[in-house]
Amino acid sequence: MQSRKKIRTKTSLRVLQVCIIILGLIILGRLFQLQILDYDTYNPLSRENSLRQEVINPARGLIYDRNGNLIVDNQPIYTITVTPASYDPKNTPILAELMDVPVEEVEKRVQEARDYSYYRSSRIFTEVDFETFSIIQESIWQLPGVGHQIESKRDYPVDSLQASHILGYLREVSKDEYLRTKSYHLGDKTGKSGLEMAYEEQLRGTLGTEYIKINAMGQNLGSYQDGALDESPKKGSDLYTTIDTELQLLAEDLMQGKQGAVVALNPENGAVLSMVSAPEYDIRKLSGRLDKTYWDSINADTTNPLYNRAVSGKQPPGSTFKPLMALMGLELGIITPETEINNPGYYYRGRRYNDLADPGKYDVGKALQESSNTFFFWLMDKIATQKGLDKWHELATSFGLGEHNNIDIPNEVAGTIPDSTFLNRVLGEGKWGIGDQLSLGVGQGFVAVSPLQMALVAAQIGNGGYKVQPHFVSAIRQNDGTMLLTNPKKGKIDWIDPDEIAVVKDGMRRVVTEGSGRYYADLDSVKVAGKTGTAQNPHGQDHGWFISFAPVEDPKIAVAVLVENGGYGSISAAPIASLLIEQYLTGEIDRSYVYNYVKTFEPKKQKTDEEEENIDDQSQGT
Amino acid sequence: MINLKELSWSLVIIWASLIAVGLVAIYSATQGPVAEFLPSYIQFNFYKQLISFGIAVLLLIGLQFINPRTFQEGSYVFYGLGIVLMILTLLIGKEVNGARSWLELGPFNLQVSEVMKIATILAVANYLTSRRNISAENLKSAIIAVSLIVLPAFLVILQNDMGTAIIFFALIPVVLFWSGLPYGISLFIISPAIIGYLTIISWYWGLIAAVIITLAIFMIQRRTWLTFTSFVTGVLLVIGIQVALNQVLQPHQRARIEAFTNPSFDPQGAGWNVIQAKTAIGSGGIYGKGFLEGTQTQLRFLPEQWTDFIFCVIGEEFGFIGAGFTVLLLLALTLRLLQMAAVHKHPFAQLVMVGVLTVFFTHFFINVGSATGLLPVIGIPLPFISYGGSALITNTLMLGICLNLDFYKRQFSIYR
Repeated sequence: MQSRKKIRTKTSLRVLQVCIIILGLIILGRLFQLQILDYDTYNPLSRENSLRQEVINPARGLIYDRNGNLIVDNQPIYTITVTPASYDPKNTPILAELMDVPVEEVEKRVQEARDYSYYRSSRIFTEVDFETFSIIQESIWQLPGVGHQIESKRDYPVDSLQASHILGYLREVSKDEYLRTKSYHLGDKTGKSGLEMAYEEQLRGTLGTEYIKINAMGQNLGSYQDGALDESPKKGSDLYTTIDTELQLLAEDLMQGKQGAVVALNPENGAVLSMVSAPEYDIRKLSGRLDKTYWDSINADTTNPLYNRAVSGKQPPGSTFKPLMALMGLELGIITPETEINNPGYYYRGRRYNDLADPGKYDVGKALQESSNTFFFWLMDKIATQKGLDKWHELATSFGLGEHNNIDIPNEVAGTIPDSTFLNRVLGEGKWGIGDQLSLGVGQGFVAVSPLQMALVAAQIGNGGYKVQPHFVSAIRQNDGTMLLTNPKKGKIDWIDPDEIAVVKDGMRRVVTEGSGRYYADLDSVKVAGKTGTAQNPHGQDHGWFISFAPVEDPKIAVAVLVENGGYGSISAAPIASLLIEQYLTGEIDRSYVYNYVKTFEPKKQKTDEEEENIDDQSQGT
Repeated sequence: MINLKELSWSLVIIWASLIAVGLVAIYSATQGPVAEFLPSYIQFNFYKQLISFGIAVLLLIGLQFINPRTFQEGSYVFYGLGIVLMILTLLIGKEVNGARSWLELGPFNLQVSEVMKIATILAVANYLTSRRNISAENLKSAIIAVSLIVLPAFLVILQNDMGTAIIFFALIPVVLFWSGLPYGISLFIISPAIIGYLTIISWYWGLIAAVIITLAIFMIQRRTWLTFTSFVTGVLLVIGIQVALNQVLQPHQRARIEAFTNPSFDPQGAGWNVIQAKTAIGSGGIYGKGFLEGTQTQLRFLPEQWTDFIFCVIGEEFGFIGAGFTVLLLLALTLRLLQMAAVHKHPFAQLVMVGVLTVFFTHFFINVGSATGLLPVIGIPLPFISYGGSALITNTLMLGICLNLDFYKRQFSIYR
């Protein structure tokens, strides 16, 4: 009995010894595995843990106007962050008091941060004013888990200058974008429209990196190896634009309360002096923290303030197309400056096409001056039947219509200058005839152009037939100080003959001196040439157009104005264009009555009953 | 009469070494550069541990003057007193980290469950000593012994301290085995732990283990009912754990278990501790990063680095050499106690020593297993090393009793 018990004790001892040694060896083996075999896995992990590669966003490039005045700047914004893991909820009342917000608000935001990540820092207050930021900064030692950072947002130093469709706005990159491009991080901002988008590459600069030591709470413990591995960011390039701030301010002022667009170009080189698409959005409200209410309101707005009518709009040009028609007629030899036709008050081709101009004898000059539809119906008839639609298309597109002009902001549309292929596609092969083409001669029917394109037409007639490249940026200053000039293209439109241009310029001058432009567009100080237009609008009141350039002999400015629902171009668009020309060429506005007239001009959305009745027998365009 | 040569000096040296390792690690974890991220009450921990060490030294010496009979004779009284205190703790105890296991006694906070471990070991040892050997035919005394352990374990669970409850459960198979429980049944009662562990990693491993264990039991015991029960239990366990993992457990409970098998599943949440602990130990390499140089420790990436994750501090700053040395010290402690038990003539002393070494070894294995990612994270301290006055003093008390029983082993047999 005793010995059996002894044997049992001895066995038990052995069994337990073996168990202890096996389990001990398992532990030692595990240590061997972790510390010796997997050392190369864990050592970098611990280094990554305690070292953080911080991306430093470079200062975004600035934007200047044509006189070198700063129009887009950067402004620091102050952000308070919280790391929930190391945040002590007992400090909430202190934080609330410092931030001057209710305790519940702080609790709510900390909870949101906690829901996002327990160990990572989240922004809880953005765009904190500097004073509060300083106070928080001073008290940060007693608020573990609370951090701060300085970011930047766009600032627009010229008061009341919007230029929102030119400059564009920035937004945080979407998840798709940062996953696709790799050079962006979550939270980075990128240009979403205008110059900010087109010149994103240049404005953005090069990201810097900084290695900092951190603890598990994400607290910054200073630079690693005194910054030996750090790379400083490279500031973005600055843009020197062709924008004339004074002119832009006036254009925005004049377009206020209207829908439409203004484009003013330098006819010599295509530099955009001013571009307004009305209504505009408030560019300052889209800078920095997203104002959700405002963002939703402009997106829901039926007048679509985010849409750039100046380059994206597609409207029939109406009678502003006639100078180009005249040029084509002269070039194709269908008319000479002396060719006269009889206008009985309508043009007959299978049916009557009405004309608002008085009946009588018309040569091309008078036809432009009085905007005679009969003359241009007749001319279109001749071109279509003798030369063909495709010839007409070829000449019209050489002016930049119906195609992209590669302006340096996004969302430019080509518009439509129909050719036979187009009509075959839209109307069916062989199913269209002269009736579908006549209206093209007065800028109606399928013709669709943007205000930018009509400004180009004015500029290119004004400069004697030189095709110019529309552009905003004249030079880019890189962060090392070197200036890159953009050198926009310029070239003679080969079919243009100076004599033909002179006839058309003279006709356009007569529009202002004797024709429908004489009320609002004629200036004493400067010789203005132009052409009014009224685009038929099946949905409401017609759209008013005016294209012009001045001085007529050697134009320094070309302007196209579109006032949606403005009715006749001569009373809606012409005064705006003439005020811009006056301001630009004389530096002031003498005619305050025109200014007041424009400011009080109210486009009518809907046609009145009387006008509604007239629409059927009214001719196409004026 | 007192011959100091009779004292097991090797154990005393191991004990002192472990405490020294602990003090170094606690110093690093609370007084190093990390101190600036710690609240001041935690920075005091090193000094509090020094004071506890002083008390432990006095306790260890004082215990050697106690008549060894006291432990056996008083065991039921201690046990009853302990149970009363446990219930009291449940009613008026202080809650720390979600566990209501602290009793406030004036200026001291006592973790009653720590003291209860000793009382339970003594009571069970006393009870089993008074019975005949356990056999397959006579399991009654085994059941009573198990009840003596399960009662405090149950109270510990009510205090919401799962870690300590596991320690109590670990006592059951070892104490019964030492008291003569047949090998087959012994294997059977530890089989759930093995099968359960493997099932969490992968269900078919669990199933394979169940089959192998059943075969082993059949080979050892050759009893049909036991073999059959073992097999059914094993299979039910595998199914039960699968159902629990997928259906019954709350998401946060499952997350904790999944964090052990796959920490990268939720690296910022449940997996965080496991990843940071493994990173700390792994990045220590062979020689470690040096005292106060561990980035994981000093930059506060480790949770509870002065208690439950203190082994990571040692592993990171002193490398495989330091961590291996610590493991060997703890293995030496348990093996020495086992050796001591085997040569003791009195079964009460044997059982007490085996019980005590089981408690130490289970603490060690679970703590280091958690830190190295071998086991799910179960928050229990590393004996003699982790910060904690109650734990250090009660662990010293346990060791001191063993030393006392060993010290008087020549006189002891006559008290039988």
